[in-house]
Amino acid sequence: MSINVLHFHSYSEPKKFLSGALALLMHIMFIAMMVFGLSWKNQPPEGMIVDLWSELPKPVQEPEPVASREPSKAIPPSEPLKPKPIEPPKPEVPIKPESSKQTTSPKEITPPIKKPDIELKQKPEPIKEIKPNLEDLKKKEIEERLKKIEAQKKEQELEKKQALEKQKEIEKQKELAAQKQKEQEAKARRDAEARHAAAQQVAARNQIAGEIAKYKAMILAKIRSRIVMPPDLPGNPVVEFKVTLLPGGDILDVKLSKSSGYSAFDSAVERAIFLSKPLPLPPDPALFNEFRNLNITVHYRE
Amino acid sequence: MNTTVTQDMSFLHLITSASLPVQLVMLILVMISFLSWWHIFRKLFVVRSEINKTDEFEDIFWRGADLNSLYQRATSSRYESGSLERIFAAGFGEFNKHPAGTDTEAVMESTRRAMRATYQREMDRLESHLSFLATVGSVSPYVGLLGTVWGIMNSFRSLSSVAQATIAHVAPGIAEALIATAMGLFAAIPAVVAYNRYATATDRLATRFESFMEELSNVLQRRSIR
Repeated sequence: MSINVLHFHSYSEPKKFLSGALALLMHIMFIAMMVFGLSWKNQPPEGMIVDLWSELPKPVQEPEPVASREPSKAIPPSEPLKPKPIEPPKPEVPIKPESSKQTTSPKEITPPIKKPDIELKQKPEPIKEIKPNLEDLKKKEIEERLKKIEAQKKEQELEKKQALEKQKEIEKQKELAAQKQKEQEAKARRDAEARHAAAQQVAARNQIAGEIAKYKAMILAKIRSRIVMPPDLPGNPVVEFKVTLLPGGDILDVKLSKSSGYSAFDSAVERAIFLSKPLPLPPDPALFNEFRNLNITVHYRE
Repeated sequence: MNTTVTQDMSFLHLITSASLPVQLVMLILVMISFLSWWHIFRKLFVVRSEINKTDEFEDIFWRGADLNSLYQRATSSRYESGSLERIFAAGFGEFNKHPAGTDTEAVMESTRRAMRATYQREMDRLESHLSFLATVGSVSPYVGLLGTVWGIMNSFRSLSSVAQATIAHVAPGIAEALIATAMGLFAAIPAVVAYNRYATATDRLATRFESFMEELSNVLQRRSIR
């Protein structure tokens, strides 16, 4: 009976315990969700805070002056630095070092070389009298050499300075470019904001106008529903009332501004206005001004 | 906590403060839900492995493997064979038992019978516990509802002794009763989904098994004539 043999072997079910564990996991998750996930209301609801705005906040337009100031700030540092490269060439004038401004630097370097020669006092004297001495000539030569060396040094320094300055300038230009970009971006953003705000304002105005129209229609409809029309009036008489309202929809005063010519119709409308007493008003109290003095026109036939 | 205005509405408190019948219903529902999820996962693994094995065996078979070696493989006890393989082994074993020269019709008849018997056993195995899932899916919402109705009944009954009834008197009772419905639904929804899924899967497997049986009969018949 091979069939039976086949039947008995290999009926082990795969992952029996794994599925049990998974089922357990599902329930633990479900319970955890119920216990922790839903915060079953334990606290009373907190009070609300309402900000009242008299008008929409205007888009900020200050940034522009800041933007114009920044470039001017950025330029000055470069200007004081520029003169320096132009100054240095002066030292090349060889013979009158003491009279010129650069006295300080040659003096500092000359002393070590003068010492071998003789004394410090003697140096000015020979120049004042005549210049016969070899020593003087030597001195001059040495001085000239020194000056040349110094000039070279200065030139090198100059070159270095110029290189540095170039780098600085490049950096500055980069900075300037970045700043410009930033400004442009800020400008674009500001423009977008302004446009957005304007659109919002327009939308708000439209909405307000729509609201007012809606409530006026509602008021008229309410009054109309309360009118007990006198029967059989000829034509389509029109009556106009001036109604003064209180906030909340109460009626302060009703005045006949234009009679229809049929006192029955006039009084019916007046009664209807009083009957529809809390007139529907928009919930926004700012709109009440539109409703304070209402002109109500009622046609006998619509 | 502010005890005067609001009661403790935490989940655990709601369960522990429920009346006994409601608690009983909840307990039953938790057990049912656990069992149904267990079967869902078991069936998931069984059906999936069955589909894989059927794919594999059909692939080997139709590639023209030697029937004798396939039979060897199917009957070797170390190997976990699939349903289709067992059907094949039953049919082929029965076919081979007849000595050569027996009437072909008779041989084919008994072969088909052997295969059908194995097929039915396999289908029974695959479909086991599916009815449990169906039962859970259809019954557990009602069980949950029973608990809810009982709880609400109680909370309204307690209302009769109060002169001024407020919603605060009934709310906790209803909330705790509704937990029973939630549990019932939690058990029922996955059970229904799983039942439909697995029923479709086993139906498709059954179709595959049946067509394979017919094809195998043809193959064996040609073999016996030759």
